[in-house]
Amino acid sequence: MATRAFQRLPTAPAGRILTLRLVAIIVSLFIIAGVLALAGHSPLMLAQLIVHSTLGSRFGLEDLALFMCPLLLTGAAVTVCGTIGLWNIGAEGQFYAGAIAATGVALGLHGPTLVILPLMTIAGILGGMAWIAVPTLARAYAGVNEIITTLLLNFIASLLTYYLTTGPWRDRISGAQVSTQRISVSIPEMWGIVHWGFPVAILIVIGLALMLSRTRWGYEIRIGGANPEAARYAGIPVRLRIISVMLLSGGLAGLAGMFEVAGTVHRLQGGMANNFGYLGIVVAVLARGSCLNVIPAALLMALILDSGIVMQTQQLSASVILAITGLILFMIAIGDELAHYRPVAKVAAGGKTS
Amino acid sequence: MIVLLTGMLATAVLAGGVLALAALGEVLAERVGVTNLGVEGLMALGAVTAVITVFSVHSPWLGLLAAITVGALGGMVFAFGAVVMRANQVLCGLATTFMGLGLSTALGHNYAGQPVDAIFGHVNIPLLSAIPVIGPALFGQNILIIPIYVLLPLLVHFVMFRTRHGLNMRAVGENPAAADAAGIPVMAMRFWYVTLGGAFAGMAGGYLTLTYVPVWSEGMVAGRGWIALALVIFAGYRPIIVTLSALLFGLVTALSFVGQAHNWPIDPAFLNMLPYLGTMAFIIVPVVVWHRMRRIMAAPAALAQPYYRDVR
Repeated sequence: MATRAFQRLPTAPAGRILTLRLVAIIVSLFIIAGVLALAGHSPLMLAQLIVHSTLGSRFGLEDLALFMCPLLLTGAAVTVCGTIGLWNIGAEGQFYAGAIAATGVALGLHGPTLVILPLMTIAGILGGMAWIAVPTLARAYAGVNEIITTLLLNFIASLLTYYLTTGPWRDRISGAQVSTQRISVSIPEMWGIVHWGFPVAILIVIGLALMLSRTRWGYEIRIGGANPEAARYAGIPVRLRIISVMLLSGGLAGLAGMFEVAGTVHRLQGGMANNFGYLGIVVAVLARGSCLNVIPAALLMALILDSGIVMQTQQLSASVILAITGLILFMIAIGDELAHYRPVAKVAAGGKTS
Repeated sequence: MIVLLTGMLATAVLAGGVLALAALGEVLAERVGVTNLGVEGLMALGAVTAVITVFSVHSPWLGLLAAITVGALGGMVFAFGAVVMRANQVLCGLATTFMGLGLSTALGHNYAGQPVDAIFGHVNIPLLSAIPVIGPALFGQNILIIPIYVLLPLLVHFVMFRTRHGLNMRAVGENPAAADAAGIPVMAMRFWYVTLGGAFAGMAGGYLTLTYVPVWSEGMVAGRGWIALALVIFAGYRPIIVTLSALLFGLVTALSFVGQAHNWPIDPAFLNMLPYLGTMAFIIVPVVVWHRMRRIMAAPAALAQPYYRDVR
């Protein structure tokens, strides 16, 4: 019956992936537009409004950069973990842990910004690392599935944040709910409300890309991810590499939390992680395991988040953005798989290979 | 003491039911070789659907039916991506969770915080409910307890381990190529069991809002879907053990309730962490303590691997 058949290639060519992703995004946008139209909104007007207030205004661009900053780091966190074949679904919790540790330093120590800020940075990174330590050891020494363990710690971190911001660290000055008082030090701003954390995050991502592609450590990680058995046979200490990569991943997510505390929110707040950890997974998926690709991927994700603000002003719930992100992720997952197929011109009878 | 124990067990059975249903559904999906990480989202969809349905028709049964239907539809969407299109299962699952959580919050916006008026009430089964301690817990609560803890797990166990169909099903999860060669429809098997697993997850969500926490609020599923996933690993993909571990887990939840009720000198936030900490301990400690556990409780060999007939 079939006159054309498809052959599955083990690796998909980059051009085809890009094309199919564009198709996936366009299909998602059509589905979203259809749903919005059914719900009584005008998709065209919304689209115009979104483009106008995200890319077309100074405030929109500043917000875009502020959204990108944590996404770059959490996206990189999930990406480096993915290089060795592991999923860090707990960037959200590590983000909180970093934010908590950094806030702790800022609330507990007083001194010049030049001293406190580096201390906060170190605390943030260590906080994130501490938060991934148990899943790391469980994975490296007992083979426990890291997806579940990293994820469960997200809930604990969120509860811990809630406890601190309503209990011992609650705001006694202005009485704000589920929040600490404003911390006294902050990352200096460079452009409007965009702080220096943004360029630093981009530099970190570029540095990671170089580390993974140019160093022996990066090479061993990539081999460990591609074929753990071969890596072990070649004498690569896979267990140690797993530990180093997961701790690095946790540290990056923790740093994202510290940047958010010191640069954007200026206090520890319940719910401040804003799904950045989970969206980091989306960024990493979009980046397809390459750290450099994290930059455009984070830009796309930040655009989606930025348009979420616009949609909120149009009486659309903020959670719609999560559903839209899910839809796009779903379509892209399918598109990526389809990119592996190459049409075969001539085929033997009954060659239904799909 | 007896009163405390009775109360605790009752809460444990009630709370564990949500996990038992969701985890049993996930056992079905994982046994045919598909990891569905979308359970959390499907549960949220089921929970909100039950609430919305009950608000318009005032019947918990119809609410539960609607939740099951929506769960099955969501499971089908996931299965379309992960089984039919063979896309990455982790991504499809996360996407399903995002879609489910986002959609349920958007849909439930107008219903948030309003108590559900028609829920599954208390049913006292005569004689049995008079048994001290376990009687009120198992036979003196809602009508769904017995199906969840006894009928469904036994049925799944029987089908999975005592019938030819069950053998075929497990073959698909262990070695799809061999199953295919033996004439078992691998794709259909995976698609329909993942859909059925989704229906279970939807039912778990419906059970949550129709018995245990009869009010919709954003984030109310609170990681129960992920805990269910962890229980499946802990129970070694076995239907009866997974149900028992859900009950054990309900006890951990009950402990935090008892702590709050008796004003233990621990902040409620820390008591609320117990279920998550408990799950961590559940899946890490046994493997560390007893190394052979890893082999006995091993996952189906083809878990999370898409099946391509032409690639060998």
